[in-house]
Amino acid sequence: MRKALARLDLFTKVCAGWLSIVVLLAIVGPYLPFTDPRESDIEAMGVGMFSKGHFLGTDSNGYDLLSNVITGTRLSILIAVVSVGVGGLIGSAIGILSAYRRGKFDYIVSLVFNILLSIPNLVLGLALVAILATSADPNEPVSSNRRVFVILISLTIVIIPILGRIARGATLTWTNREFVTAARSMGMRDREIIMKHIVPNVLPSIYAVGFLAVGVVIVAEGSLSLLGVGITDGISWGSMIARVAGEFTYAPHSMYVPVTALALTVIACNQVGDFLRSQLDKREGKI
Amino acid sequence: MTSLLSIHDLHVSFDTPRGLLQAVRGVDLEVPAGTSVGIVGESGSGKTVLSRAAMGLLQGKNVQRTGTVVFDGKELTALPPDEVRNEFGTGMAMIFQDPMTALNPVRRIGSQISEGLRVRLGLSRADAMKRSAELLALVRIPDPQGMLRKFPNQLSGGMRQRVMIAIAIACNPKLLFADEPTTALDVTVQAQILELLSELRAELGMSMVLVTHDLGVVANHTDIVTVMYAGLVVEQAPTRRLFANMKMPYTEALMKSIPRLDQPSGGRMPMIAGRLPDPTAPEPGCPFAPRCPYVVDKCRSSVPPLVSDGDGHSYRCWLPLGGGI
Repeated sequence: MRKALARLDLFTKVCAGWLSIVVLLAIVGPYLPFTDPRESDIEAMGVGMFSKGHFLGTDSNGYDLLSNVITGTRLSILIAVVSVGVGGLIGSAIGILSAYRRGKFDYIVSLVFNILLSIPNLVLGLALVAILATSADPNEPVSSNRRVFVILISLTIVIIPILGRIARGATLTWTNREFVTAARSMGMRDREIIMKHIVPNVLPSIYAVGFLAVGVVIVAEGSLSLLGVGITDGISWGSMIARVAGEFTYAPHSMYVPVTALALTVIACNQVGDFLRSQLDKREGKI
Repeated sequence: MTSLLSIHDLHVSFDTPRGLLQAVRGVDLEVPAGTSVGIVGESGSGKTVLSRAAMGLLQGKNVQRTGTVVFDGKELTALPPDEVRNEFGTGMAMIFQDPMTALNPVRRIGSQISEGLRVRLGLSRADAMKRSAELLALVRIPDPQGMLRKFPNQLSGGMRQRVMIAIAIACNPKLLFADEPTTALDVTVQAQILELLSELRAELGMSMVLVTHDLGVVANHTDIVTVMYAGLVVEQAPTRRLFANMKMPYTEALMKSIPRLDQPSGGRMPMIAGRLPDPTAPEPGCPFAPRCPYVVDKCRSSVPPLVSDGDGHSYRCWLPLGGGI
């Protein structure tokens, strides 16, 4: 592990650092002594960066951008981590099982994965949110918590086939390796072979793609909010972008702040994912 | 003498897009307890399929296996998979051809050896590790404690094959299948590994089925030899008798194709002209007929039966070398 850290290049270090800060803020952000993100400062509406009392300025409604972007971290990261975590777990379990079992089960799983993958992420998310988050009574708005929950489920469903297919492909190559036959010749059960021989070999590719997927989900959440079906009344990076989208001409910096946070996080995720894969791949070794 | 393993009329075929591929066509094989039996043949003669089918390791819908395999008094072909699995590791174990792919690249040597011990013998983690170190010492690996913590990619091919052997003998199997254990290794290491296998066999009282394409290997390390060609047993005899008095032209051709140091250099390598018959469309007659230098008309029309001279030597030929019975 220490050796692995020593091999980190500067860019990866910066990316890992950024991700740690983001995760830290997601956890402790709301307890830090910043201005209330929901409080409008009518004295300073749409002021620029580095103004007095508002380090990153305010949007045209007077909401402090710094405290909003920090508070928004929590929801954005929560959605990304939970949907990739849950979706990745379900997806790779299905993928590994279907590749190991083959046969009809595998055929059906691949078919469903391919159908889901053929629908663009955003369209699929949009459709799922539209179906799940519509209340029967049009006068009664859907509660904020339910919206977050629905977005979580939708994005999880988007992630399942992405990671599922990666896990399936990797399992197919590893199941044919002789050490699986060797394990079987020692009397190991399928469950033990999957847990001890297949999973450890498949994990590196899942990690790498999982990190990429975190980036995809953060962007998807932002896009859904921009389209007006995301988190409309909560505070997330996506909802910030959606709220200030109409005021881009008057207060462009209010758009730059959440977009920069989002972009940096996505880049950092990709880089760290790439690094993890290259490290875990090395054990295969080449003679 | 009772047989530890006895295979009767084993057929294995694979359903392929080109038709039914008959890899093993009715093989009988006896492995008496305490002996080492060699299975020889060129690539594609069905020897690997035979050994895997005997253990029941061939899986998939396209595999068809008929015949009986009796191991240690139990008819494996009639048992449910769960009970066959009970014989693995403790009853029979297998060493694989390529030690580069037969070890899991992401797990340490120690955990790979102790896996069998824990699953099959129910040892605790610490006991299994201790036993793993003993096994590594048994296969003559220097510094067994240090080896436990290494990954397969840190080992040379010969060392990996020793680890494979340690894994296979971990649960004291009665019968060891060695499927071309030295093919992927260079010649000097080959000799060491084969020597090691012979020594272990004597120390642990194991029987062994040694699958190889190399008659030289068979000569030094087996008691009985079975020569296979195109999925059929073509000659079978105690090793000494086979080399003294081979009856089947194919065995002779195999012998002649071994390069020798005393041949003048620069000459052509000896080889058997032609190639194996198409396993999806076996022709009537002896499968070796198209390549046989002594072929007569009868060879092309009907397959010769496996006849025995009553002294443990059997062969499948209409015109055996040195005359028939």
